[in-house]
Amino acid sequence: MGLKAVVSSPSPAFSTDESGAVEVTNVGHVYETASGTTEALTDISFRVETGRFISIVGPSGCGKSSLLMMIAGLVQPTRGTITAGGRPLVQPDPTRIGVVFQDASLYPWLTARSNVEFPLSLRHVDHKIRRERAEEALDLVGLAGFADKHPHELSGGMKQRVALARGLVQDPPILLMDEPFAALDEQTRLTMGDEVLRIWERTRKTIIFVTHGLSEAIHLSDEVLVLTSRPGKLVDRVSVDLPRPRSFEVMGGRRFEELRERIWQRIRS
Amino acid sequence: MNTATVRNTGARSIPAPVARAALVAALIAVWQVAPTVGLLDPRLLPPPSVVGPMIVQLFGEAGFRGHLATTLLETLVAFLVSVPVGFIMAILIGENKYASDIFKPLVFFVFSIPKSIFLPLFIFAFGISFHQKVAFGVFSTLFIVMMLSFAAIESVRRDHLVVARSYGATRMQTVLRVYLPGMTPVLLEAIRVSMIFNFTGILLAEMYASREGLGNVIEQWGQGFQLDRLMATIVVIAAIAIVFNETIRALESRCEHWRE
Ligand SMILES: Nc1ncnc2c1ncn2[C@@H]1O[C@H](COP(=O)(O)OP(=O)(O)OP(=O)(O)O)[C@@H](O)[C@H]1O
Ligand SMILES: [Mg+2]
Repeated sequence: MGLKAVVSSPSPAFSTDESGAVEVTNVGHVYETASGTTEALTDISFRVETGRFISIVGPSGCGKSSLLMMIAGLVQPTRGTITAGGRPLVQPDPTRIGVVFQDASLYPWLTARSNVEFPLSLRHVDHKIRRERAEEALDLVGLAGFADKHPHELSGGMKQRVALARGLVQDPPILLMDEPFAALDEQTRLTMGDEVLRIWERTRKTIIFVTHGLSEAIHLSDEVLVLTSRPGKLVDRVSVDLPRPRSFEVMGGRRFEELRERIWQRIRS
Repeated sequence: MNTATVRNTGARSIPAPVARAALVAALIAVWQVAPTVGLLDPRLLPPPSVVGPMIVQLFGEAGFRGHLATTLLETLVAFLVSVPVGFIMAILIGENKYASDIFKPLVFFVFSIPKSIFLPLFIFAFGISFHQKVAFGVFSTLFIVMMLSFAAIESVRRDHLVVARSYGATRMQTVLRVYLPGMTPVLLEAIRVSMIFNFTGILLAEMYASREGLGNVIEQWGQGFQLDRLMATIVVIAAIAIVFNETIRALESRCEHWRE
């Protein structure tokens, strides 16, 4: 499946395609530090089917980032197992999973293009192919004309687009995003949300999206996972049954408010 | 617009580089005029009109060129030893928490001691020789290199490392593609500052006890009251130091935005 993969119909409820499936089974995580141990997460289980867009919300410190890092293979769970694309992850596998971080985390010494090429260059992909793929990815995020700019010449939103392009460049079936737009202003955040939806609709990747914004979560996702803190527990899975595309009317409607209210209640409990 | 901005623009009616050049020119003019009109004894402060030609004359003397070559060679060797060695030691120490806890405070202790008081010991150990100068130069420089290298290693952003790991970078790739460029701005600063320590150490060792080198001729011409030669040598040394410093600073400013 190339980045330019055409729009496909929404994934069926029971997909047989395992390539983008994520399965988290009885996962717990305990951080050991000099000052003692922190149980960040306990007994988390859920499954995400290929091509679904799910959000994770929860209070600060409930372990959202930790969970995402474990799915990415950057942190090993203390308990339980995680599979991505049907296979367990013992270490990061960028061909299966792309990650976009909160602060774009671009390399300031590289141009936008080289930042996007970075994952490919680590794997010694041929120069020409590298360049083509980076161009394609930058095009996809709407930054075609900015390939030769350095990060300090880009706005916050543009930097996140580059980070998104970097996450997409190897065309992984799964994309993890940890509060990717938290540092952006409201307007840019809304635009970026639409951008992610557009890309998701074009590429039909599995997206797991961590956010603090309940409206953002409902706006974007098929389903919202709600965590509570200390230790982080999965307390609810809210299916977002709003029709897509989700217009302003839908987002202002009663069903939207109900969903928001339900998630809010679960977070507070 | 607030008052600060108003005051700023006022002060900036003359561009800073022009003002700076004017200031330097004025100082040179005072240096020229004061001894010639009898405000200062020209034997105590030979004016630029004497020192300038003297610099040319010195470069014509094989003896002086020899001293210059000796000092530059000592400085270069000491620098090429102390910077890589200090850097590698800093990495070995910085990488390991236990080693950091043991060695870092010690490096800070030794750094705080003025190095010149050890000069006599270096003469006992190495005699008055090329090796002694280089050894003392290395000793003068090593600890500042280590301290600045610690800072350089810490200046590498953790999230940059996580990104590399998430894209499956090997250890070697992480060092070459993330650590090295990530610490380059601080490392250049380290190189620049280390050279100041290094050059000072070598000249000091030469002034204290030696048969050759620029430090040696400064000492001799000072004792022998040959102030024209002394001043000319001072200008040459100052020029060397400034040129090196500014070259590295130019490199630094080219990767200024790497720090963001
Ligand atoms: N490297 C670490 N070492 C020790 N404790 C950690 C570490 N990382 C996270 N924690 C702890 O684990 C818990 C969960 O942290 P995590 O960053 O996953 O939460 P989060 O939900 O992403 O929070 P936020 O919404 O503020 O980003 C917190 O109590 C935090 O203090
Ligand atoms: Mg977090």
